[in-house]
Amino acid sequence: MGDSYLDARLHALRRTQNPDGGWPYFAGKQSWLEPTVYAALALHGEPAADRAWKLLQSWQTRSGAFRPAADVQMESWGTALCITLAVARGEFGDPFERGVEWLLKTEGEDSNLLTRAASVVGLFKPDRNPRYHGWPWKPGTSSWVEPTAHALVALKLASAKRQDRDVTGRIRLGQAELLDLRASDGGWNYGNRTVWGVDLPSYPETTALALIGLQASGVKDVLDAARKIGIERVSPLARAWLAIALRLYGVATPAPTAPPTPDLMLTALEALGCANYRYFKTGGEA
Amino acid sequence: MISRRDLFPVAAAGMLAGYAGFKGGTAGRSARLGNASVAILKAASYSEDLVSRMLQGIRELKLNPRGLKVLLKPNLVEFDPHTCINTDVAVVAAAYEVFKTLGASEVIIGEGPGHRRDTCALAEMARYRGEIEQFDARFVDLNRDDVSPVIGFADRPEMYFPTTALRADLIVSLAKMKTHHWAGATLAMKNFFGLVPGNVYGWPKNELHHIGIDRSIFELSRVFHHSFAIIDGIVGMEGNGPIQGSPKPAGVLVMGSDLPAVDATCCRIMGIDPGRLEYLRLASDRLGVTEEARIEQRGETIRSVRTNFNLIQPFENYRLA
Repeated sequence: MGDSYLDARLHALRRTQNPDGGWPYFAGKQSWLEPTVYAALALHGEPAADRAWKLLQSWQTRSGAFRPAADVQMESWGTALCITLAVARGEFGDPFERGVEWLLKTEGEDSNLLTRAASVVGLFKPDRNPRYHGWPWKPGTSSWVEPTAHALVALKLASAKRQDRDVTGRIRLGQAELLDLRASDGGWNYGNRTVWGVDLPSYPETTALALIGLQASGVKDVLDAARKIGIERVSPLARAWLAIALRLYGVATPAPTAPPTPDLMLTALEALGCANYRYFKTGGEA
Repeated sequence: MISRRDLFPVAAAGMLAGYAGFKGGTAGRSARLGNASVAILKAASYSEDLVSRMLQGIRELKLNPRGLKVLLKPNLVEFDPHTCINTDVAVVAAAYEVFKTLGASEVIIGEGPGHRRDTCALAEMARYRGEIEQFDARFVDLNRDDVSPVIGFADRPEMYFPTTALRADLIVSLAKMKTHHWAGATLAMKNFFGLVPGNVYGWPKNELHHIGIDRSIFELSRVFHHSFAIIDGIVGMEGNGPIQGSPKPAGVLVMGSDLPAVDATCCRIMGIDPGRLEYLRLASDRLGVTEEARIEQRGETIRSVRTNFNLIQPFENYRLA
């Protein structure tokens, strides 16, 4: 991927950072965790990334979870992204430890004790295996592909510092959940295989995210679905995630040339696809 | 045997204090509940003069949007070239022109799809970006807008919503006339699921499923009660809607300020008994009117445009006599 393509994106990110140190989804709006983490990874090593990390730390709650934005009083799936950023920065202090603990104790409602018990006694027929444990977008809801993929990346990266059975056990159950959610066409959508017995199709962007989460899982055919996707024909967001995923697996992707869009999260992901995708690298495929 | 999705609303119901505990609710709106007016306008295809049809309906219903900040909320969900999931671009473009013509101070188009994160790409595939002039400047991705809290939503102490929706004086639900595999039908009220921000609640907006789909439909219409509906029933969707169903030409636009009345009218056009839809039972006489005798039909009669939509097996007994 050309330097000018990357430079244009990094330049756009540098000039759109909010005074609080975060990034909005679109310039001039409030800072959000998600674009802030991606931009901080893209600009890793620059003072802008340090300001972002400082802001994100101020969003960590007593539970260890991070809020999705300054004024949103909620525990967020984005905690996983903050752990990934912490590992990239070599920050293994209290915010990292508490974030990892929160991830370990957080699971989708579809696999909690009540749900497992209800399925065992036949009160209802689960559409996914309740013995597996994925992650929700927010506590109190079911687990889905994207937050599960990001949590797996975070815990796999964290396992370099914390090689305990809690972490490895949870990675195993999370990967099992992700594989259980796989669509009949071999890819992944947001996390429903079927509705009323009818198969749902996969999406390129969530298929890419699942691949990233399943690095080093030992599953041989995870790349097949991604290889079938024509990266030039998908949406810009899907293209960005596919570029990251395929490069993590050592697969070359076409060099893009389009100028940056006003979408700053997309801009950051496109920049990550050029070089710093390595901060998502958890396995031996790349 | 019930499904996983069904179990959570059942479990959640045990924790609810009941509807008497709602904050805000319908206070101050009782005067509106005496009766309602709904306009049914024939439009056989998207190439007809939809602007004139909408202006006719708005005149009949005495809506005056002059000086108002208007948010047009289409139903933009997924894209499949083989069916008709989304509000047709011709309806969105016509509504934009109508509200500008009628003197709205601001007209914005906003949507927050429930499954797909690349909203702009969806808008591209649905031809919104190509056929609505300066679409990007007029569009807000409600999944990634700034948000503010609203106190009290079902049993939740607060719920976050896009500031674009909260600051709008009038939200126009540009919904598609479709069957829905959980709610029975998705019309003006269910379309407000797209006002819930993904950047807080995720994709899908599973918080609403855990609150309960019907309860959430009710609550969203309660919060966003400064609303108007224009339903795209020119070609609707029958069967396994809202995504995997089949196109169903119904040849109508259905319009009104009382969203439960609009939805109940659409149901009758589709051959669905609105009394069987839980969310309409909740909304009836709380948010609006659903009894046929209390809805004054403008334009066409229901009988003249009724066309039964195919219903999947769990909803077969919802068929209107």
